Formats: sequence, C-alpha cells, structure tokens
Amino acid sequence: MTTMLEARSLRKTFTLHNQNGVVLNVLDHVDLDLAAGEMVILKGPSGAGKSTLLRILYGNYKPVAGAVRLRHDGEMVDIVGARTSRVLDIRRRTLSFVSQFLRVIPRVSTLDIVKDPMLARGVGDAEATERAAAMLTRLNLPKQMWGLAPATFSGGEQQRVNIARSFVDPTPVLLLDEPTASLDPINRDIVVELIEATRKAGSAMVGIFHDDAVSSRIATRVMQLSSRKAA
Amino acid sequence: MTQPPKHDPDYNYGYLDEATKRMLRRSLLKAIAIPGYQVPFASREMPLARGWGTGGIQITAAIIGPDDTLKAIDQGADDTTNAVSIRRFFARVTGVATTEETTKASLIQTRHRIPEEPLRDGQILVYQVPLPEPLRKLIPSESETRKIHAWAEYGPIYVRLYEDIAQYGEVTSTYSHPILVNDRYIASPTPIPKFDNPKMHMSPALQLFGAGREKRLYAIPPYTKVKSLDFEDYPFTLQRWDEPCALCGSTTSYLDEVIINDANERMFVCSDTHYCETRRGEGHEGPQLTKAQSVHLTGSAP
Amino acid sequence: MIEQAPLLRVQNVTRLYGGRVGCRDTSFNLWPGEVLGVVGESGSGKTTLLRSLAGFEPPDEGTIHFRRGEKDHDIYALDEANRRAMMRTEWGMVHQNPRDGLRLDVSAGGNIGESLMARGDRHYGKMRARVTDWLQRVEIDSSRIDDSPKSFSGGMQQRLQIARVLVAEPRLVFMDEPTGGLDVSVQARLLDLLRVLVRDLHLAAIIVTHDLAVARLLTDRLIVMKDGHIIEEGLTDQILDDPHHAYTQLLTSAVLSA
Repeated sequence: MTTMLEARSLRKTFTLHNQNGVVLNVLDHVDLDLAAGEMVILKGPSGAGKSTLLRILYGNYKPVAGAVRLRHDGEMVDIVGARTSRVLDIRRRTLSFVSQFLRVIPRVSTLDIVKDPMLARGVGDAEATERAAAMLTRLNLPKQMWGLAPATFSGGEQQRVNIARSFVDPTPVLLLDEPTASLDPINRDIVVELIEATRKAGSAMVGIFHDDAVSSRIATRVMQLSSRKAA
Repeated sequence: MTQPPKHDPDYNYGYLDEATKRMLRRSLLKAIAIPGYQVPFASREMPLARGWGTGGIQITAAIIGPDDTLKAIDQGADDTTNAVSIRRFFARVTGVATTEETTKASLIQTRHRIPEEPLRDGQILVYQVPLPEPLRKLIPSESETRKIHAWAEYGPIYVRLYEDIAQYGEVTSTYSHPILVNDRYIASPTPIPKFDNPKMHMSPALQLFGAGREKRLYAIPPYTKVKSLDFEDYPFTLQRWDEPCALCGSTTSYLDEVIINDANERMFVCSDTHYCETRRGEGHEGPQLTKAQSVHLTGSAP
Repeated sequence: MIEQAPLLRVQNVTRLYGGRVGCRDTSFNLWPGEVLGVVGESGSGKTTLLRSLAGFEPPDEGTIHFRRGEKDHDIYALDEANRRAMMRTEWGMVHQNPRDGLRLDVSAGGNIGESLMARGDRHYGKMRARVTDWLQRVEIDSSRIDDSPKSFSGGMQQRLQIARVLVAEPRLVFMDEPTGGLDVSVQARLLDLLRVLVRDLHLAAIIVTHDLAVARLLTDRLIVMKDGHIIEEGLTDQILDDPHHAYTQLLTSAVLSA
C-alpha cells in the first residue's frame, strides 16, 4: 500500500510565556504511518494531545522536534520545514482538515464556499456547481439556503456546509477533528457513509471521534495516545 | 513705423545692466538648446509689478538691438495701456523703432496672442508667461514636477483632458492648452487661446517665453514640432465662430466677444487689432462696421 | 511544482526614523502570488518598513531586490527614473487614508484613468471602458464615474483607491491598514473584495495591519514585529493558533476570536 503520510519522533511542548512561563509537554516521540485507504482513529484521554497531533500533521502547530512527511505530487515532502507557499499548495491539493466548525467568510454564499476548493484546483465552474449542488442535496441542505452566506445558519447547518466543502472533491489525505459531533442521527449516518466511501475510494484519513459507535464503524486502525504531565 | 525719441542716456541700454543681460542670454541659449525645457533665471525687479509681463520684458531687454523694430501687443491689441506702455518703455531705454505692423517688426512682445499674420524667418516672438508650469495645478511640488519633466512621466497632464471630456463631452479649455515641444517636453503655451496653438508648430520665428514672477524661461526654436495634447479618439480641435468679424468680415481670425451697450448687445471682433485694421484698409467690411463706428469700437481715429 | 524565484528579497534592512529605529536588520522573501501580513502594535516599525519596501524611503542599511523578468533589481541601486517606473508598473501602494492615495479634486473615473494614462494609454473610449469595468469590480455604481470622490463615503473612497492601484495591473500591492478607520460592516465588504481580487489577479501583497482577523482572512504568511524586529514568522494560521514568542502570545490572547 502507498504510504501517504509519515510522522517521526514528534515532540510538542507549549510554553505559556504570559502565565509564568509554564511549559506543557503534550507529545513526545510520536510516530505515525498512514497509507492510502486507511482510517486511523486517535484515542486517548482528554489532554493526551489528539487534536494537537492532528494540527501538527496539518502544519497548523509547529512541533518542537520531529518531521511530518506527506506524499505530494509523488514525492514525500516535510511539511514542518516547507515554505509557506508549498504548505498552501499541499493544503490546496493533497491535505485537508475537517472540523465541526465552519470558518465563515463575510458575504460568501453557501454554494460558493462548497465550490471554492474545486475552483482552486482548476475544476471548471459548471462542473463545480453541479457537484456542489449534488453534495449539498445529499447533506439535506435545502436549495433556498445555497445562495445565502452561512453566517446566520444553525451550528449543525454550518457543520454540514463544512463537510460538503471537504468531501465534494476530497484530497488524498484528510484529517478529521470530530466532524460528526452534534449532528442528528440521520445526518451523522450520511456523513459516516461519506467518510467510508471516501476512504474506500483511496483517501488516507486520521480522525478523532468521541462517538465509539462511529469510530468502530469506520476505523481501520486505532492509535492510542497517553496523557502526559506538565513539566 | 514711428521714430521714437532718442535713447534716454540716464538708463543703460535696454534698462538692465550688462551683467544681467548676459545672464539672461546665457539662459536663453540653454532654453533654445533644449526646446520646451524651463530654465531658471535670476529675475530682476523691473519698473512694474511682477505678474505684469516682467518676464517678457526682461527677455526683450536682453536681446533687443539698435536695429530692431519692436511691436508689443496685449491680447492681440496694439493700443491697450499695457502694450503702449511697453512700447514706450523700450523706445525710451533703447531708442529703437516701434511699429504696430506685424510684418515690419523684428521683435514682437506679446501677452496671450500670436498675430494673425504669419510670422517669417528672423522674427522673434517674446511671450509674457504668468504660470510656466503646466502641471502645477495637479502637482503643487516643484521638485516633483521637475522629476516628471526630467523623465517625461506625463500621464497626469492628460487627467485634465480626461476630466473635460468626461464632464462636458469635449476638451473645453479654450486657452492654455498644453503642448508637447519637439516630442520631448510638455510646456505651457502661456494662456494663448488654443486657436493659436497650431501657429507654434514649425513656426519660422524664434519663440521665447519669460515668467518674471516664477523666474523661468523657455523657448521654441524656429521650425520645431509643437503638438497640442489630445487623445486618439478625441483629436485636438480649434474653436470656431458662427459669424465673421463684425468689423472686417474675417472668417479665419480669432474673435473677441465685445458688449457694445447697456442693452447687452454684443458683437464678435478680431482680437488682433492690427490685422483687423489692415483688412479694413484693404476694403474688407464686416456686417456691423457702421454700428461699431457709432460706438467708437474701430480703434483708430476716423 | 516548479520552484519560483522570490519576487521580493529583503535583506538586513534597517531604517532609522526620527532618531528612533523604525525597523532593524529585517530580512524576508516574498514569492509571486503570496500574501504576507505584517502585524505588531503601533510604533513597532511596520509602516516604516512598508515605505522602504515600496520605494518611498531608502533604508539606512540593507537591500531590497525586486524580480522583473529573469533579473533581480536592487531597487535603491536603480536610478530614480527606473525606480519610479517600477513603482508605476510593478507594484502599487494602498494607503490607510484614501485621501493620501487619491486626487480628491479629480473625478472617480479620472482617478482610475490616471493610472492608465501614466502607463501611456491615450484612447479615451478604451480607458473609459476599463475604468467602468474597474468601478464595477470594486462595487461602485458606474453611474458615479464622473462624481468627485469627495462625495464618497470612506469605504467607497478606499475601494476607489484600490481600483486606482489595481487597474495598472501590478504584480505586488502594498497595503497599510487598508481597513483602518472604517466601521465594521464596511470593513467586512472591503475585506471580502480584497480577498477575491488578490486571488483572481494572482497578486502578491504585503499587508500591514494590527487587526489579526484581517490577517487571518487575507494573508498566507505572517511576520510579527516588535520594537523594529521580526520576532516571529510563519504560516498565518500557525502563528495565530500556535504562537511561540511571548509577545505574539500576548497579541493573540488579546483578541476575542480572530
């Protein structure tokens, strides 16, 4: 199987300079290998660093030590040391992060939000519109809402817009931070099906899911993180 | 042509001292060498206020020779106070002959007009310039306008033309329409009517410009290209009048509108008084000549 | 992906300002199409740095190279005429106060048109069409084309200024607090407009701001300045979500949500 992502000896501490310089040790010597078609579920008690690890894999947090290599355009690229524009290119075409929160951009309509990643990858406008419409329909977002900016939508509606955006044209690697949290059972099942289909289509995924029923349905592997104490 | 009293020996020839005249001639040579470029000079106090033609007068004073014949016009007229005073001034401080006839003059000092009669080789036209910097209204800084001229960054000057077309559908400024001299420097044609702009192009006469208050002079040598700025789709055009000169019937000269009585009656007459008189002398007659004579508008005594 | 050369190379730039240090020993690169944010509190040297980069004030030390064609040009080693030509064609500056970037006694259309005339356009009709197009792009009703910018609101003036800069098709735009002085609802519209324009035109930009929400929305990469120094630099979301330096932590914790 193709290795899509490998993390080596990740170490992460947070130094809180404005709180008497407290140093939090969150991750130490964490390794992770991820192949195409895999879904690795991160498990561990609160504070074990699940979200931190996910954010490091995305380049959002900077590890104190270690490397995160990602298959991008056929070669393994270290995202930790890569130039900003390289990281952004990786995020545009290879790597995405799906949380339960949608970052609302003023005045941009729901349909445009969902189309945006496809347009950025060079998909034509007509095709992008068609695929976005299909995805929004599948996620039970009524057509009247498509032309509106989601700022006024409910949390669950915003969450589904975000999922539509992430799964309409999924990247080879997806990082999922509780994307199904607080969805009603019907919509949660739809999202779970989406995730399953995407994985089977070849995407590699790392995810955090608190709902054990969900995680046991979709996991191909579980990775346990243990809690660490403050130094 | 009138022979004036002799040069008043209480004044140096040409009023200015010799060192000042040399300084002016050096600046003029530089100005002629770089057509359209504004050359700074040490403007002197003259016996009239700055802004009343002291730039033109200083140039004339620096170049006038005993063999010259001087004509002075103000808005085209030889007979206004200013024109008469300047002629008398130079007659007194140089003793040269003066004239109202364009063809007979070797040196013509003018405020705001170019004579209708075509100029010829060897003549010199000296303009009095109030504001030598065509960009000043848009760009207040002198150091900035100098850079713009130095590097021919002439975009901003077109804003004025753009604004005219945008607001009025055409370029409405009828005077002081900026010119590009010798394909290089943009210059102010002084506030001559834009009607006169084409006369500057390839003129056989040497054209000198002096701004006494602003301490700048510039020149257009004989047979130099002078282009009035325009847009490709809004070419430079001249203003036209619906009627001929009321006095001489000319249809090709620049006309002034004159109100002739308290009943708000008006007529259009040649701004170039000598030209108009000459034509009338040749027997040309405008539609309202008789009426004009009744209100003493014909200038010369009957 | 082909490795491009940086569009702008800033090396060891120091600029003293009124006896105090504006920015000290500052170095970074900017790549084509990249949007860089410069954040830090007032007086940290942001605007001083921007003015040096944009060609207005030479640094006291260090060099700034701009890439045109296949060649890097040290912009302060160029003679002034060439530097000004580059300032007209290669980059533009959006000032915090639109009055500094507009001619208020010239119509809205004239303000945009001047940038075209400056690069040699001499066809009124064609210019007029481009000006109209740009007014629409910055969401100003084209019926206002001949109105004075004095009659515009602050937000409209700022959008007009942006059109005046972008119509010249620069590859790099400098913006000094582009949303400063505007009320919040007007800011949002302007930000969205900038976001779309920067993306569609593939512009590189350097945006000075003290507003972290602006930085988050518009920029790819952030530089954090304090007392004239760059103290932290990286991917915008990484700097905002995982700030390392004490000052950056203070800055990010001071906002409710960016």
